[in-house]
Amino acid sequence: MTDMLDMIDWSCVECLNQNPSRNIGNALKQGYREDDGLYLESDTDDQLLLHIPFTQAVKLHSWAIKSVGTKGHAPRKVKLFINRPSLGFSEATDFPAVQEFELSEDDLEGKPLPLKLVKFQSVNILSIFIEDNQEEEETTQVQKIVLYGSAGEKMNVNEIKKVGEENS
Amino acid sequence: MEATVVCIDNSEWTRNGDYAPTRFQAQADAVNLLAGAKTEANPENTVGVLTMAGKSPRVLVTPTPDLGKILNSMQNLDIEGQANLSSAVQIAQLALKHRQNKNQRQRIVIFIGSPIAEDKEKLVKVAKKLKKNNVAVDVVAFGSEETNGDKLESFIGAVNSGDNSHLITVPAGVILSDMLFGTPIFQISGGAGYGAAPGGDAAAGGDAFEFGVDPNMDPELAMALRVSMQEERARQEAATAAAAAADGTAGEAGAGPSVSLAGEGDKATAAPATVDEASPMDEDALLQQALAMSMQVDAGAGGLENAATSAAPSAAAPSASSGVDAGMFDTEDEDLRLALQMSMAGDGAEAGKERQGAVTDVLNDTDYVNSLLGSLPGVDPNDPALQGALASLTKSTDIKEEEEKEDGKDGK
Repeated sequence: MTDMLDMIDWSCVECLNQNPSRNIGNALKQGYREDDGLYLESDTDDQLLLHIPFTQAVKLHSWAIKSVGTKGHAPRKVKLFINRPSLGFSEATDFPAVQEFELSEDDLEGKPLPLKLVKFQSVNILSIFIEDNQEEEETTQVQKIVLYGSAGEKMNVNEIKKVGEENS
Repeated sequence: MEATVVCIDNSEWTRNGDYAPTRFQAQADAVNLLAGAKTEANPENTVGVLTMAGKSPRVLVTPTPDLGKILNSMQNLDIEGQANLSSAVQIAQLALKHRQNKNQRQRIVIFIGSPIAEDKEKLVKVAKKLKKNNVAVDVVAFGSEETNGDKLESFIGAVNSGDNSHLITVPAGVILSDMLFGTPIFQISGGAGYGAAPGGDAAAGGDAFEFGVDPNMDPELAMALRVSMQEERARQEAATAAAAAADGTAGEAGAGPSVSLAGEGDKATAAPATVDEASPMDEDALLQQALAMSMQVDAGAGGLENAATSAAPSAAAPSASSGVDAGMFDTEDEDLRLALQMSMAGDGAEAGKERQGAVTDVLNDTDYVNSLLGSLPGVDPNDPALQGALASLTKSTDIKEEEEKEDGKDGK
């Protein structure tokens, strides 16, 4: 079980309804997420939709979310989806999730929350939909999100050598 | 990198000819230009087009990097019905949501030239939804500003996030695409603005080059521009000098009635003083005054004339030439001075008369003098004092001739 930080395809990470000055990097990137002063915040309402693509299919084992400080702004209902690249807010609300969480205060302190292992065997894109927050505040805040899992068979294209390269 | 959907207005209102040739055609030109700018700014940018009016909004082309497809889709469009803004925008958002490349930011550009049917609340609701989905919106309003202005402002206000959305209102009577060219809609974020040279150091942007032209791309054009610029500068300098000369003439004219050898010193101060009264002194007048004051000390008349000459080298030629003659007596070389003197004594008077005649001719040309005086700041060519002075100057030509001779004597 390792941190999946290195497997994230950063250029395609997308967060809908984020406040541009408090963006997803604050919750996901190393260094930023360890700092409690930096957090991800929603913009027009309390919902957030994070698309986290990986550079290859990965197995996810558990995840952790941290939102301390302002209790009312912490996320409550969270839905996880996999491999739905064009998921929008309306679909996320209506469709059944791969796994749903009702987060308690304990869960929000950053301890690993187990995932249904069989359903997260081949994840290309993980979508985290935060539907509402603890006390129906205007915005939702998230300090830190960590994903744990394993990369499975790793294939680095750069290491492939042309057959018979030594001979020619 | 950006995916853009352009919503065009093909309602009956766009038949209006207040934007040449018609609103619709002006809009089509602007869309073609915009699509070109977007696809050129980044090879991975895509542009789609949908029409807002008709039975229902229709997507003509889904976001594509192929400019040909976009231009082609704009042909043979029917103008019919009424624009349906809110549903069109939501369809545009769907088209953007299913873009192939998730790296692209989403943008909708709305062209609207007809009254918006929806009320403000509905538009703001749509705008919030767009903002939630990270869609930026640019609106180009042409026509129906009275009914749309307020609605569009609230719409943009609600959708704007980090200054990524803009509202451009184009007044009637101008070329739509020209107006849009300098606006933020064409300044694609993160890249060089459109209009920058596409090759070479395009990243530096258009402003980096002297005339907005990359000298490496087209050296002959750059050279031509540079030469043209120099010529124009020279012309402007000559014009300024002419104006300065006119200053001097005006001053001389002002002192006209009292022209005499003894009056030369007064004349020196009179020239700038006239200007002083008339207007806040400009640089030329100050320079002239300074020169006149320094010359007054040692050279009297000749010095003054010389000062005028140096201040007004080109256009003041007729009035200055007599001054040059007088000024030469300041030459250090005593022998040369004498030699000059000798030659001057012979033909100086006649030549002086001739030259003086030239000055008078110029001054008699009322139109020219008036235009010259009129071009000076704060000088009123109709001022009676000035008119009187000019008239008397013409009369005093005879006196001046005598003065010319006396100048020669003075030099000895």
